[in-house]
Amino acid sequence: MAIKFIMCLNKQGALRLIRLFEPFSGDAVNHQSTIAQIYKLISSRDHRHQSNFVEFSDSTKLVYKRYAGLYFVLGVEPEDEELIYLSHIHLFVEVLDAFFGNVCELDLVFNFQKAYMILDEILIGGEIQETSKEVLLERVNYLDRLS
Amino acid sequence: MGSLRTFIKDVRGAKTLAEERSIVTKESARIRTKLKDDHLVPDKRRKNIQKLLYLHILGEKTHFAQVECINLIASDDFRNKRVGYLAAMVLLDEHQDILTLLTNLLNNDLNHQNRYVVSMALSTLGSLTSPELARDLYPDVENILARSTDEFLVKKALQCAAKLIERDTTLLEIFYPYVGSILKSRQLCTHGGLLGVAKLCQVAVSCRSRYEYDNYPEILQSIVHKIPEFFSILQDMNSTNFSAEYDVSGTCDPFLQVELLYTLRLMFELAPQETAQYKNKLNDLLTKIATDSAGSKNSANAVLYECVRTIFALQLDQSLKVLGVNVLGKFLSGKDNNTKYVSLNTLLRVAPQEPKAVQKHKMFISRCLSDPDISIRTRAVDLTFAILNETNMKELMDELVSFLKLSGEQEKDLIINVVDQLISKFELYAVESEWWVIEIMVQVLKIVGQHISFDKVSNVIVMINNAQDLDHKTRLIHETLELSLGKKEEAIDGDNLGWKLLSVWCIGEYGDILLQRNMFLETELTHYLCLVNGIYSENTKLISYTLTAALKLSAKIQSPSCVEDLRQLINGHSKDTNIILQTKSVQYSFILNQPASQRHDILGAMPLFERSGKNGNGSSGSKPMVKPQEQNLLLELLEETSTSNGAAAGNNSETLLDIFGNGSSDGASQLLKSSTKADPIINIPQDSVETYQSDDMQVFFKMASMVPGEAHLELYVRGHAQISNLQVLAAASKTQKLVMGNLSMASIAAGQVCRQELKVSGSGKLKFRVKLIHEGPSGLTTDQFDHKFDQSL
Repeated sequence: MAIKFIMCLNKQGALRLIRLFEPFSGDAVNHQSTIAQIYKLISSRDHRHQSNFVEFSDSTKLVYKRYAGLYFVLGVEPEDEELIYLSHIHLFVEVLDAFFGNVCELDLVFNFQKAYMILDEILIGGEIQETSKEVLLERVNYLDRLS
Repeated sequence: MGSLRTFIKDVRGAKTLAEERSIVTKESARIRTKLKDDHLVPDKRRKNIQKLLYLHILGEKTHFAQVECINLIASDDFRNKRVGYLAAMVLLDEHQDILTLLTNLLNNDLNHQNRYVVSMALSTLGSLTSPELARDLYPDVENILARSTDEFLVKKALQCAAKLIERDTTLLEIFYPYVGSILKSRQLCTHGGLLGVAKLCQVAVSCRSRYEYDNYPEILQSIVHKIPEFFSILQDMNSTNFSAEYDVSGTCDPFLQVELLYTLRLMFELAPQETAQYKNKLNDLLTKIATDSAGSKNSANAVLYECVRTIFALQLDQSLKVLGVNVLGKFLSGKDNNTKYVSLNTLLRVAPQEPKAVQKHKMFISRCLSDPDISIRTRAVDLTFAILNETNMKELMDELVSFLKLSGEQEKDLIINVVDQLISKFELYAVESEWWVIEIMVQVLKIVGQHISFDKVSNVIVMINNAQDLDHKTRLIHETLELSLGKKEEAIDGDNLGWKLLSVWCIGEYGDILLQRNMFLETELTHYLCLVNGIYSENTKLISYTLTAALKLSAKIQSPSCVEDLRQLINGHSKDTNIILQTKSVQYSFILNQPASQRHDILGAMPLFERSGKNGNGSSGSKPMVKPQEQNLLLELLEETSTSNGAAAGNNSETLLDIFGNGSSDGASQLLKSSTKADPIINIPQDSVETYQSDDMQVFFKMASMVPGEAHLELYVRGHAQISNLQVLAAASKTQKLVMGNLSMASIAAGQVCRQELKVSGSGKLKFRVKLIHEGPSGLTTDQFDHKFDQSL
């Protein structure tokens, strides 16, 4: 049970955040086409009437959710429990929202380092390390003031 | 040079894609040059790396800065370190050699006096754990676990420890005691700490086969002893008064609950003996969670789902399994597609073990057949077939037919899958009424005939052909053709070739009955065949059927103009570029010119087909079964004509032999006589294989020679009785060309042997269907068998 990657894409398929805990196969060109495939797969789905899970390859299943104009996507093992990963996404989004105060896409564009910082307090090496929103917020707010 | 913010603004402000590319390329080049400058002050260095991280998000190449981010980590400035570590996590992965450069830096920072630096180092180590780093840095991680009282550092150190053990199992010995010590500590045993402990336990039980030292039993024992503590933590979380801090829509920390349940599952799965004593307690706990869990929110469902997965993974008590299936049933009945999806997935796995419990929810499963989500529909189809049995067959088949009605063009694979499975289920179960099966299949053809292979259509044709009740049959065919001829409001799709094939066949086979009962006019049927012939001239199979139907219909109608139309239809293919159609056309023209009485005999009704493989038919298992529906067109021709020959008396056998193009039997035997002289006695070679045996004869096959792309074969027939007028007909697979060589003798006495030569060229497996027509003691007989060689061309 470990997350292979997390990414955040906007509605047009532009990447906003990406963290690989397990490297994609192939070179950089391949990376871009993998991301494009993921976007294509997810954006073609009806987010109201279809589930938030979709098989991407034999070894990867996507758990994703759209918040306003942003897709948050997790790559996980096909056998992993899908439902709890939706909660992972939700926790991340909630912390982002509270941290930035009504987070929007531009916050992530201009402050991607802070978004990564939040991610690194929630996940470590693809595993969840902290689940309390309060603990996380207090921590990231403090870390943010450190520089 | 501008700041990161200006750079991002510039990129976003670009009016065209080309402009954006140019900004990005320029900046990328500038960063590259700057970073090469050894005198660049660290602040500038950091800013360049920040920009580089943005370039990384944009999908640009960043490999040139890998060493650079390590240099930043070496800086004493916290801000530089922070960007350096972030860049390392984003830009590097654990398979890169460059990680060795990190060893010393991490070693320093893991012991740094600033705990935020330690925290970053731990995060980085957790993301980038190579076996070398694991070996070099484990003492530092252990040091933190042993001394630190900072819960943030301890929870990260626990996760790191689990990663380190994964890379180097010998480290288990170092880290396992911390499971106990953290669980005991009031201050460190937070939810974050528990997540780390859970990971440590998971890796401890998972690495059993890789752990080399013999103290594993002790380690396992100490881990397993903690099971009651996990039980009580889970129990507390499921009691009513849990801490509000971890509340996620009414469920207490679903993340930790799922993690702990998963940990328990691994322990019980991988150490069944050691954990046996706790199994009853586990049953109680899971029962409690599965029954008490309130709320329909995702967080509650996630915990419930993990419970169910545990129940089935561990094959727990029957009552728990039923409870588990009921939870999944509840998931299915809801509106949430996510729970439906996981429920169907799990039910699919569970259905073979708990068919009865799963069947109870068939209503909800059927409802998912019409779900807007294709992934849910696909699973619902599979699950429907998984629970289908003799008792619920009718009900579920109806559901599947409605499913097919709703299916769209883009779901071709799914449709084909459904039809395949339908047919196999019909073969598996005894069905009370053959008509029910036929009607379902005709309906399926009507709905999705364009996706169904002709082999399957042939199956339906055989079913209709073999059905006994003529009135019922006529009624069905009447309805079928009314649709085809456009006499009903419902229209058949022009692409539905399966349906056309069926219609054409019905006209050829039952035209006389339909006409006698005044269901259709002669001109209507004739017209339909001409229409199909005109529109689908590209489709060899359909046109073959049309030709045969035209021939048959011509013998059943009176109107000279219609007969003439059919004659034209048949003659129209006499110069067809397709050799099969051309041959058919010429042969059929020949039959058309025969006297009416003979034609009538040849074109009589089809006999019953035997079908192989059907349960309870008593005929399963025998290999060389006549199965006329198989792909081979040559055989299909032989089948039709020779079986009708069997139905008629022997008086037209000569006509038939003419059709086969082998010359009259006299001519054949004369030819053969001359070859008999050259080779009077033939013995069956040692290396031939016996492939067939009947009362009259024994047949052997031999591979005479083989080069890539071509093989010479010999077939030996030894008579058990006097055999005369022997004809050997053979067909190879479509990718091959078969040339029949000499037959040494057409008449052999008992014990005598004759030889037929065959030459085959092309590619693929060597498979043959051989037909032997001869006059033996019991009159004209036909034997047929299949043979497959091990070799391929």
